[in-house]
Amino acid sequence: MADALHDQIRTFILENYLFTTDQAALGVDDSLLGRGIVDSTGMLEIIFFIEEQLGVKVKDEEMVPDNLDSVNRIAAFVQSKRLAA
Amino acid sequence: MSGSIVQGFDQIASQRPSATALRWRATRWSFLELRRAIAAVVKSLDRIGCEPGASVALLVRNSPQYVALYYGVLAAGRVAVPLNAQERSSVLLRQIEHCQARLLIGSTDHPEWPALSTAAAEAGVRLLAISPREDDTALEQFERDLGAEGDDAELPVRNTADLASIIYTSGTTGRPKGVMLSHGNLAANANAIIRYLALTPADRGLCVLPFHFSYGNSVLHSHLLAGAELVLEDNFAYPHLTVQRIQDEGITGFPGVPSTFALLLARCNLGDYQLGSLRYLTQAGGSMPRPLIERLHAELPRVKLFIMYGQTEATARLTYLPPDKLESKMGSVGMAVPGIEIDVRFDGRSQPPGEIGEICARGPSIMLGYWNDERATAEVLRDGWLHTGDLGHRDDDGFFYIDGRSVDMIKVGAFRVSPQEIEEVIAGIAGVEEVCAAGMTDELLGQAVKVTIVRREGAELDERAIKAHCRQHLAAYKVPKQVEFVSVMPRTSSGKIQRFKLA
Repeated sequence: MADALHDQIRTFILENYLFTTDQAALGVDDSLLGRGIVDSTGMLEIIFFIEEQLGVKVKDEEMVPDNLDSVNRIAAFVQSKRLAA
Repeated sequence: MSGSIVQGFDQIASQRPSATALRWRATRWSFLELRRAIAAVVKSLDRIGCEPGASVALLVRNSPQYVALYYGVLAAGRVAVPLNAQERSSVLLRQIEHCQARLLIGSTDHPEWPALSTAAAEAGVRLLAISPREDDTALEQFERDLGAEGDDAELPVRNTADLASIIYTSGTTGRPKGVMLSHGNLAANANAIIRYLALTPADRGLCVLPFHFSYGNSVLHSHLLAGAELVLEDNFAYPHLTVQRIQDEGITGFPGVPSTFALLLARCNLGDYQLGSLRYLTQAGGSMPRPLIERLHAELPRVKLFIMYGQTEATARLTYLPPDKLESKMGSVGMAVPGIEIDVRFDGRSQPPGEIGEICARGPSIMLGYWNDERATAEVLRDGWLHTGDLGHRDDDGFFYIDGRSVDMIKVGAFRVSPQEIEEVIAGIAGVEEVCAAGMTDELLGQAVKVTIVRREGAELDERAIKAHCRQHLAAYKVPKQVEFVSVMPRTSSGKIQRFKLA
């Protein structure tokens, strides 16, 4: 599923970790850790991005692969948090 | 206890066969199972025809299979060359060629395996692919991959003076620099660590540090030789899951680098967890800022915090600060580990307390030298001492302090990065006239890479193009965080670039 939120997340990762605008360089279900796209500090930067750019607070217990390890997972997590807000 | 690392392991495996040695995901290997896996590696290497003394490169992430391969290569009298699992295949191929590896053993799920195995095979290196399982069929699958079955016989005894392993570290020239460690070096350092951490079979460590890196390597050996259990975690991207694991699994020890603890304190409220099992934390891999040490100590007052210092050239550990001196000797890296002598030297002479000089060390864990590089070896092993390249001093009580580094080197997280390596890669981009890499301060990592570039006239280069090129050719942690374009480089009167002005 591609929408503005997915695009925003994907663009952030492409620009900051793969340094490209080629959308094909990152699949929406690609594992960010498994593919070596981000490391532990990169994951923290993604959390800052979610909090500061997407306006969703990430609680400690929400920092799990199910919420953060791909574009689709981040988008689903952000959407669910926005709905619950 | 002295002797070789394999012998030390074998003795423990005989004494504690059914105790758990390693846990990774759903795999749990006892000491006996690990010994069986090691024996299978020995048989497999003999069967493949890889000659004794040959280098065997390993591209396998932290896992029980990695441990069996490393110890198996050593037990078989070959030389283990663990490759940096975060590095790109082009860099790894240079290391494989540099150490004249005869065999490359790699995990098929590693993203660099397809490119590296193809290139290595073209260079005449034999290949052995393994598919590490992470459940209770892991040992069977491992034996299938090796084409050999292990047994319960004693492992072959190795001479302590023989070369056991080569660990690649960044050289200041950007060329591969392979630190040669003997069987005796590895055992001596592991035993020194066991003594000062007071590791026993009752300990259960949690390791997030990669084994290809000397700190992770030392955590592995010290746990195995102490008969302790080591729980392996693939990464530290989700700090709260790691803390949860420390709580749920009764972890007694947790080693980290400064950024590990910075991440931990940034995202976890440690007071929310029951961490009563945690006996100690160790920190090495660069100096940790004082406020971070103080916060960590304040949040976990009953946990012993060992601040340590070392170098791959010394196998791993050179000094440690006893936890009871943490407050009175804040800022110090402590005293020499058992068996090691440390001195502060300048111009061939020992310096008195308070005077800055080069930190030098001698003892049974000092490397044999750099592989195939007599010149680089002679630069650091001279007058009977290892010259660390770090500047420091001692106080009146004999505690050591690090004051800086005498050679240009960027320390990103716990990794040493050679500015020349970055510069060589960037110099390969069309349109780059001149480039200089330096370390910049980074809140989490201590330092990050910053590059300053002079463009060729008319060249259209931007920050993204530079970073993308680096991402293709370098490990992610070496990619510059900041790229600055200038019209001229600052230089000394003799024309040398003033790197420190660009940091």
